[in-house]
Amino acid sequence: MKLGKIAWRNIRRNTRRSILSMSAVGIAAMTFVFMFSMIEGMKQDVAYNLHTFVTGEVRIQHGEFEKYKHLNPLHLGIERYTELTERLDSMEEVDMISPRIKFPTAIYKEGSTYNAQGQGVDFEREAEYQALEQYIVKGDMPRNGENEVLVADGLAKEMNLNLGDNFTLLTQTRGRGMNAITFKITGLTHYDFDGLNSSFFQAPLDRVQYFLRMDESVSEILIKLNSNYSAETFASRLDTTLTEWNRPELIARMWKDISQTYSFVVMADAIYFIIALMFFLLGSTVIINTMMMTIYERRKEIGTISAMGMTGPEVVRLFFLEAFYIAAIGSCAGVLIGIGITYPTTIYGLNFGAAMEGVDMEISQSLKPVLNLKSTVFVFLYSTFIASIASFIPSRKSAKVKPVEALRAI
Amino acid sequence: MNYTQKKMLLLVGLLAAVSMLSTLPLFALTAEEVIERLEANQVHETARSEGRMIITDRFGEKVTTFKSWAEGDEKSLIEFTSRQERGQKILRREDEIYLYFPDAAEVIRLQGAALRDSVLGSDMSYEDMTGGKGLLESYNAEMLGKETVDGEECYKIELHAKGRGVPYPKEIMWVDTEMFVNRKVHMFSLSDKLLKEMRMEDYTTQKGKTFPVRFIIEDKMKSNSSTEFVIESIEIGIDIPSSLFSLEELTW
Repeated sequence: MKLGKIAWRNIRRNTRRSILSMSAVGIAAMTFVFMFSMIEGMKQDVAYNLHTFVTGEVRIQHGEFEKYKHLNPLHLGIERYTELTERLDSMEEVDMISPRIKFPTAIYKEGSTYNAQGQGVDFEREAEYQALEQYIVKGDMPRNGENEVLVADGLAKEMNLNLGDNFTLLTQTRGRGMNAITFKITGLTHYDFDGLNSSFFQAPLDRVQYFLRMDESVSEILIKLNSNYSAETFASRLDTTLTEWNRPELIARMWKDISQTYSFVVMADAIYFIIALMFFLLGSTVIINTMMMTIYERRKEIGTISAMGMTGPEVVRLFFLEAFYIAAIGSCAGVLIGIGITYPTTIYGLNFGAAMEGVDMEISQSLKPVLNLKSTVFVFLYSTFIASIASFIPSRKSAKVKPVEALRAI
Repeated sequence: MNYTQKKMLLLVGLLAAVSMLSTLPLFALTAEEVIERLEANQVHETARSEGRMIITDRFGEKVTTFKSWAEGDEKSLIEFTSRQERGQKILRREDEIYLYFPDAAEVIRLQGAALRDSVLGSDMSYEDMTGGKGLLESYNAEMLGKETVDGEECYKIELHAKGRGVPYPKEIMWVDTEMFVNRKVHMFSLSDKLLKEMRMEDYTTQKGKTFPVRFIIEDKMKSNSSTEFVIESIEIGIDIPSSLFSLEELTW
């Protein structure tokens, strides 16, 4: 008996009801195409921001730095860093390197104090590492060796400063003393996340080394890898290599082990699975309700086909297939509509500016969802599976209908 | 008892009373008097000194050397001479603090919360350097009695701030009863939490005044932290031009 054909014919007997059932699953599927695409976009965005601005794909630091991070322990730095960067440059896994000094500072301007986060960078390397040109909205990059800075436009606005203006900052030096220096603003930058925009500036590495009394040391080296190499594998290998290079005080860690932001996004991804499960189950209740109504209405039919020789399991399979077709068609339609809605946002992005204001995480204000296998094929399979499994219970009820009792109603 | 016997008894009684009374101090010093004598010792018309500051924290020890000039207790100039801080200066004029750094194009004036920052990472804050009005102008003093500190008898005096313009709402000081110098000072927050302790370890006497030349400050809010000040040379009552304490001089 060709159950598939019969099931397919049966769902077209009451088109409106079938479409209603399909749409419940379809709406849930459509929503989750967008949500999973959004999460994937967020993961990629966070990864890029961390790689570029915070941790690199792999970061080298003094082994004790993280423990005393809150005290800004500049004396726990990477000594003779140029020796290290020369060796790293020659490694085939390494694409780009960024030696940096990060330091918290207070800026005094006309009786007011502004807290800021400074960073000393080698602008010759950084132009490529950060692709800096895309972030400079006014002016030019500072020159190495000069008391010039790039200031985030949010910080400049707060201090009421513009291109060509000077400001003096005061901070703790490596020797745990204090020093101050005056910089001139040669460029303004705009980043897409508030954590940088409101407090960030960059100065030439050599000038920062000078005024922080760092000599030939930096506080960290960030590494971006060539595309075929795994950050986890490289970090593990580099950690051993550093000891071989007679640098046992240094450690190499991959970015996922450093930042909590990415962990939160991954956790959100996992939570979405659970939320999606709830939504698909909710959508499935419509199919379940439809199945139960159908079984009740078609009791005579069930009795007839049972009397004609269809076994109990075959009846169950028949109704299960009807539910499966409804779920599959609904999911497919939902996924296709979801792709249609999501696709323009993958190009133009979505601006969460107001919502992300003040959020101190490495997530951009403007996010672009990313359509992928998980947000399309997986959503289709997941929603079809959940809806089908949920429909199995009412389908089994059809086997309990006794033919004699069903036919008595004729 | 005849007249002569009565006269003898009266004389003996008087002698006994006088000898008892002579063991009592004629006038017990008040808290205010002790503080006046303390300030007479430690406030100089002018002073010039050189010394070093040894800062100890969880990361080790750091030594900073300095020269300083002072006029009364309202003006002072410190210039750091150690390699890392060479040329840096702190100018204090009453409650104003100005910082000069050779690499900075402008002088930084510290105000508000910035005054609570520590001086070169030490246990002393910029706020600790302010003040200048006499203690009795800013605090109400109460004598708590006497205690022994480092084997020396001291007056124990509690100070409560009269208003808000002082770094510490409450202080307790132990003033040597002989030399009228502080042996120990405790500084407290408004909630009576001990914030800092200052202990004087060594003293010198010049021109009739005795004052500490080695003292240790501990910030009780930091763990394993202390700052020792050692005055290696000091001259008081010398000629210091007032212009030294001007902003123009600061940038030279």
